[in-house]
Amino acid sequence: MGVEKSSAWKALSSHADDGAASALLMDLFSDSGRSERFSIELEEMFLDYSKNRITDKTLELLLDLAEQQELSEWIVKLLNGDEVNDTEHRPAMHAALRAGGLNVQGKALEVQDDIESEFNKMALIVDRIRSGHWRGYSGKPITDVVNIGVGGSDLGPLMMTNALQTIKSPINLHFISSIDGTQTSNILKNLNQETTLFLLASKSFTTIDTLSNAETAKDWLAEVIDDSNTLLSQHFIGVSTKPDMMTEWGVPPENQLIFWDWVGGRYSMWSTIGLPIALQIGMDGFREMLEGASVMDQHFGSAPLSQNIPVLMGLIDVWNINFLDIHAKAILPYDARLKYLPSYFEQLVMESNGKAVNRDGEKVAYKTCPILWGEVGPNAQHAFYQLLHQGTQAVMCDFIAPVERDDFDAHGLSEKDGSLRYQHELALANCFAQSRVLMLGDAAIPDAIKEQFNSPFKHYPGNQPSNTILLKSISAKTMGMLVALYEHKTFVESVIWEINPFDQWGVELGKLIAKETHSALKDTNKAEEFDASTQSLIKRVI
Amino acid sequence: MKVSVFGCELSGLVTASALAQTGNQVIGLPIGNARVEDLRQAMMPREEPGLSQLVKNQMAEGSLLFEEDWRVGVKHGEVLILSMPSWRLERAEEVIEKIGQYATEDVLVVNQSSFPIGTADRFEAKLRLAFAERGLVAKVSVVAMPEFISEGSALSDFIAPDRIVLGSHNAQSIKKIRDLMRPFNRITDQVKVMSTRAAEYTKYAVNALLATRISLVNELANNAEHFDIDMEEVRQGLGSDGRIGFSYLYPGCGFGGPSFASDVKNLVETLESKGYDADLLKTVLSNNETQKEVLFRKAWRFFNTDLKGKTIAIWGLSFKPNTSTVENAPSMKTIEALVAQGAKVKVYDPKAMPDFAVQWTGAPGVELVETMYDALEDADAVFLMTEWKMFWSPDYQLMKSKMKTPVIFDGRNIYDKDVLKEHGFRYFGVGRGESV
Repeated sequence: MGVEKSSAWKALSSHADDGAASALLMDLFSDSGRSERFSIELEEMFLDYSKNRITDKTLELLLDLAEQQELSEWIVKLLNGDEVNDTEHRPAMHAALRAGGLNVQGKALEVQDDIESEFNKMALIVDRIRSGHWRGYSGKPITDVVNIGVGGSDLGPLMMTNALQTIKSPINLHFISSIDGTQTSNILKNLNQETTLFLLASKSFTTIDTLSNAETAKDWLAEVIDDSNTLLSQHFIGVSTKPDMMTEWGVPPENQLIFWDWVGGRYSMWSTIGLPIALQIGMDGFREMLEGASVMDQHFGSAPLSQNIPVLMGLIDVWNINFLDIHAKAILPYDARLKYLPSYFEQLVMESNGKAVNRDGEKVAYKTCPILWGEVGPNAQHAFYQLLHQGTQAVMCDFIAPVERDDFDAHGLSEKDGSLRYQHELALANCFAQSRVLMLGDAAIPDAIKEQFNSPFKHYPGNQPSNTILLKSISAKTMGMLVALYEHKTFVESVIWEINPFDQWGVELGKLIAKETHSALKDTNKAEEFDASTQSLIKRVI
Repeated sequence: MKVSVFGCELSGLVTASALAQTGNQVIGLPIGNARVEDLRQAMMPREEPGLSQLVKNQMAEGSLLFEEDWRVGVKHGEVLILSMPSWRLERAEEVIEKIGQYATEDVLVVNQSSFPIGTADRFEAKLRLAFAERGLVAKVSVVAMPEFISEGSALSDFIAPDRIVLGSHNAQSIKKIRDLMRPFNRITDQVKVMSTRAAEYTKYAVNALLATRISLVNELANNAEHFDIDMEEVRQGLGSDGRIGFSYLYPGCGFGGPSFASDVKNLVETLESKGYDADLLKTVLSNNETQKEVLFRKAWRFFNTDLKGKTIAIWGLSFKPNTSTVENAPSMKTIEALVAQGAKVKVYDPKAMPDFAVQWTGAPGVELVETMYDALEDADAVFLMTEWKMFWSPDYQLMKSKMKTPVIFDGRNIYDKDVLKEHGFRYFGVGRGESV
């Protein structure tokens, strides 16, 4: 029996039909205690979920659904390291990576020593590079580090190092991911072999995207380095679950950092894959990020479901998707440092829950993961907000903003500090204004200017649900909390939908067919079986 | 003349004692770490040839006194000299405040310190304002007279200067300072009079040009190696060009010390903070930082990137000969780099061991030894970092008998590569010798 036939689901359907689905946010806010009741704070994070089309009754029924789906038990299974990834027969222990030995049990406890010892090795490497004592072939200190990785081996470090860019780093970081090599040739133009170090980050160490870029990097180094041992020992570090494969490629053992197959690629930023983050903010900073995530893990594992931030956010998304028929979600950070956060969440959420088959292998009869996308809010206001305000497609939005900024002196007297303070206020004002207009629509228009909006083209339907997350500031800790929140929220949804969020079979076939297609590019006879469209495309490029 | 010198570091002590020797009544007033009790016993903050003796003599003569209380200095001096390290600007401001409070008649201040351009003008305005507030009718003049002394030859640089730069628009003041400096201006007239700002800028410009010259020579030398060219031969060819001359043409492992590089750095910072260009000078400074590790890089390549467990003898720690200072010295960066790679270093310097010991005593991998030959015990190589006279003609046989392998990295190009080769040494200089 699918969850859609369960009593808790049916109760929510009836609740929706009884008026909850057509309720207007504007009216719901006549309840003066709503904002306080539908918001929650955890250390340096504040979540306002009151701008969702929910009532106390809705939440009660959603919590019933969670209970029916044994969410609490699933949370325990996840955190203890039970085999929650059943199609690949392994646990998903990203939370164990950041537990630091705290309140951890089962398999997650067993791996703590391995994790700590690998982090210790990572710390030595980080200190050596950051202090200028990792030398290139000629003896000059490494100044530039290029991370070659794709997917989870790219996005996490890219997103996090951008978010924490105001922390001054002795190392310039660069990221290469795309298979086509244009990033590589562009980045290498501005770098010097003497002072450049490459990180090869690949869970399997077979990813063609990464290995092809690595070969190009190796060729570039070999233009000036005769000794291949020196080339490898001073200019390559490998991060992978496969030490043998790294050795085979040529990464010397002392330059290898490992992680484990129980770390999903999209959750691997917390492992040694986070090396670029540690290079940027130091190992202490990296550990602060882990601690931030651990704060969220502890909360997720111990807070009652009704007071549990990831649970509430996940359940409300389920309500929006399955009972309010909303199938798009926008991630809208109001700080340019978070520009890669939407891409990061795209991978996290859609690679996890973009599935149509439940854990028993049966096709589900309900919608699962929405289309998720986003952009730095103030930029998106000049782009797709048009659709948010007046399109035919309903969209749920997550607004994310820092309360304070650490890149200028909040009490500084200089004109520049004053201007930056003003800009920060503007950003927050825009953030709050947008969520308000999305909620209220026309009702947000002040009476005095109502006349000017008397036109069908200036009509704002409103009633679009949103969450607003305020972080005290953008720091290693709050970023750790934020990302862990979305990880757990995504897990909560998967439990309701009865799908496995930790595999990604959908991306496998394309990789396989690409190999076949590549050989057809070399030998067109092999393309004969292909469809006419692909054949004609192949002809055009050879 | 009655003179008060504020600042009793190297520059202040040289000025005070040299002026005392020529018949002036001089009071020295410390503004920083130097203590009056020590100074009165002629204990110098830095070792400097001849200085301690001269100070002692002038105190015995009664022409040089040291006092704690700045007010005594303000009351005493017809000429008030500010002679401080560049990073002591705040203390100089305090001295100016004291002068503003306690002076009772005309004031002539001479600033020798490398403070930001415009400081002399600003001090003069500050004093005028202070006098006006007190209703004191007195003349105020602040003259810029940058010092051009070098550690190791500071006294002779002061006594027989290449030039005396005086920056002021006040003819009376110039006349008076000319007279004060007359004993040091004998053979030909070395006094260059200019605006105060030009005088201040001249000091920076001199150091900027010298630093640039050194860094350029180093770059030429490093590249000469790639073409198997001996830079020493090229140096002869270069220096004999009248437009170029021979001074500051020696390639080596970089310049250091407390003032030279920091003057250039201060200039770069001043320029950049105002949005002006300092591209070339920035490159000069970063080139020099890189050059400080030139011997490390040679050894790194010579030992095939594996310095772990190697023993390296270090000859010379001070940033140049005849000084006990290791501040910003190339040896510091080099030792740090070696130790970080797991090498052991045995260090020796004839004068700078105490200064070195402050930071390095007990550091893993670092051994301070008693003699230059002790440093060579079991050494895989020796780094010559400072060209102290005692290192020029060592006992090659003794060296070889002590060292594990006879390898010399010469950071000051003081040895003859052919002679060393005959003695069976591998020799690597800067822009000469074998290349790696």
